[in-house]
Amino acid sequence: MAEIVDIEAKGLNFYYSGNVHAIKDVNIAAYKKKVTALIGPSGCGKTTLLRCYNRMHDLYPKNRYEGEVIFEGRNILSKDVDIISLRSRIGMVFQKPTPFPMSVFDNIAYGLRLKGIKSRGELSERVEKALRNAAIWDEVFGKLNVSAYELSGGQQQRLCIARALAVEPEIILFDEPTSALDPISTGKIEELIVELKKNVTIIIVTHNMQQAARISDWTGFMMLGELIEFDKTEKIFTAPTEKLTEDYITGRFG
Amino acid sequence: MAGACPCHSIFLIAERYETLVIQKKNPIDLLFSVITAGASFMVILLVIGIFAILLKESSLSIGKFGFIKFIVTNEWNPVTELFGAAASIYGTMVTTAIALIIAIPIAIGIAVFVTEIATDFLKGPIGAAIELLAAIPSIIYGMWGLFTVAPIMTKYIEPALQKSLGLVPLIGMLFQGTPMGIDLLTASVILSIMIIPFTASISRDAFNLTPAVVKESAYAVGATQWEVVRDVVLPYSKMGVFGGIVLSLGRALGETMAVAFVLGNNHQITSSLFSAAATITVTLANEFTEADKDIYLSSLFHLALVLFMMSFIVLAAAKFLLFKAERKINR
Repeated sequence: MAEIVDIEAKGLNFYYSGNVHAIKDVNIAAYKKKVTALIGPSGCGKTTLLRCYNRMHDLYPKNRYEGEVIFEGRNILSKDVDIISLRSRIGMVFQKPTPFPMSVFDNIAYGLRLKGIKSRGELSERVEKALRNAAIWDEVFGKLNVSAYELSGGQQQRLCIARALAVEPEIILFDEPTSALDPISTGKIEELIVELKKNVTIIIVTHNMQQAARISDWTGFMMLGELIEFDKTEKIFTAPTEKLTEDYITGRFG
Repeated sequence: MAGACPCHSIFLIAERYETLVIQKKNPIDLLFSVITAGASFMVILLVIGIFAILLKESSLSIGKFGFIKFIVTNEWNPVTELFGAAASIYGTMVTTAIALIIAIPIAIGIAVFVTEIATDFLKGPIGAAIELLAAIPSIIYGMWGLFTVAPIMTKYIEPALQKSLGLVPLIGMLFQGTPMGIDLLTASVILSIMIIPFTASISRDAFNLTPAVVKESAYAVGATQWEVVRDVVLPYSKMGVFGGIVLSLGRALGETMAVAFVLGNNHQITSSLFSAAATITVTLANEFTEADKDIYLSSLFHLALVLFMMSFIVLAAAKFLLFKAERKINR
């Protein structure tokens, strides 16, 4: 089965303000409807790389990109890209659950309303669909009007996934989505991610190597801002080419 | 601490504190503790002492007019020796309310710009300007108000308001009479300028408490900067901002010098903002030297007691709201 490239970084460099060179000449592809995991020790640049894909770094001054990230034939790092619509096509889920200070329903409907959808019927329909796809509908359908803060941490994280799904993005970026959750909630999120790849491309940053091994199809190992190795997940975890990768996955450092 | 008298409970606390200290500390530490504790308890004693003096001095007026009746009586006549606080309370509340209406949008605008929009290059100078504005002594605001703002109000702003809003039914009531410049509206404008830096800096701090990652989440579903401020930052920090507003309210209630110059000290209740009026503080500042009779003096103390209680309630409400806001953020 041929893999189709969905989004690809080419010769990507990234500098935080003050010229901190955080991503060094990275070339990495993420394939359509596959899960790509980014692993590596703390500070290796995996989250920084993830945040290049939806231009999150633009929120802070003096950050600088070099190179290209190609999505649908265009370099999304170029100045004339509409970041707002880019972000509604490349969604993101963060380390900690980040519900907005509003009801469960409004949290999910938020992105839809921003897109200009006003009809109550369509909103309800798409909110329900998103909550079902995020496997949380059964737990919250009676609580759509309560504050999102009333939900448990694991539920809040799935709510955030539903929120990202609601605007029907092609790609979802996960930034260590289970690092603040207990094992049971983590299990649910992992199942969900595997389920989600039927429809979307997923790039996930994780500290947890077992998690990468369990849910991803492709894995990139990063260190000190460089992509050391990128290959099929089974290859990375059974027969890595690079010594550094082997040392890391066998727990010799990290 | 079941003691009915507050002083009693303070001594109880002090006693307990010392027994705790003695068990653990060496003599120098003990001395140090006693000195700092003494300084701290003095603050409580001062508050209680001031309240007690106000109560004692106003007892004559309270006895003659009654505490509640004094508040609702619209009459301030040193000749007939009939005193009521209604006009002063009205003036205080109207100037404060209008000042807040003018100041809040501007202050929140400043806070949004400084926290969300301005580059670091601009943040510094604007922050410094806000702090400087807050540091200007209020008497300078008063003088500036009298010589600069009042003539501008008389010449341009008040006639313009009269010609536009003055023709609208109901609201028009507020803009009747001859624009004199020395009136409720001018006083409110000066007050609003005084409380803008206050409200702005507290709002800025409240906005800064919004976790970056929640803002990022809104950006991540395609929100614009304005949408993030409206839907995430403002709802997230509304309790803090509200607390800041109440603190500014307290400040506006107690402000004397800035208002004294431009208010005209006239004890009357009128619907028009173009009329001279009195606030509690201005009455107190102007009339103590004239109070030749015991009942006059006592009534002034009574007025001060009313202001003390108003400020206390406002401050307590602000503290409560800020406390609730902090708890919400920490959750």
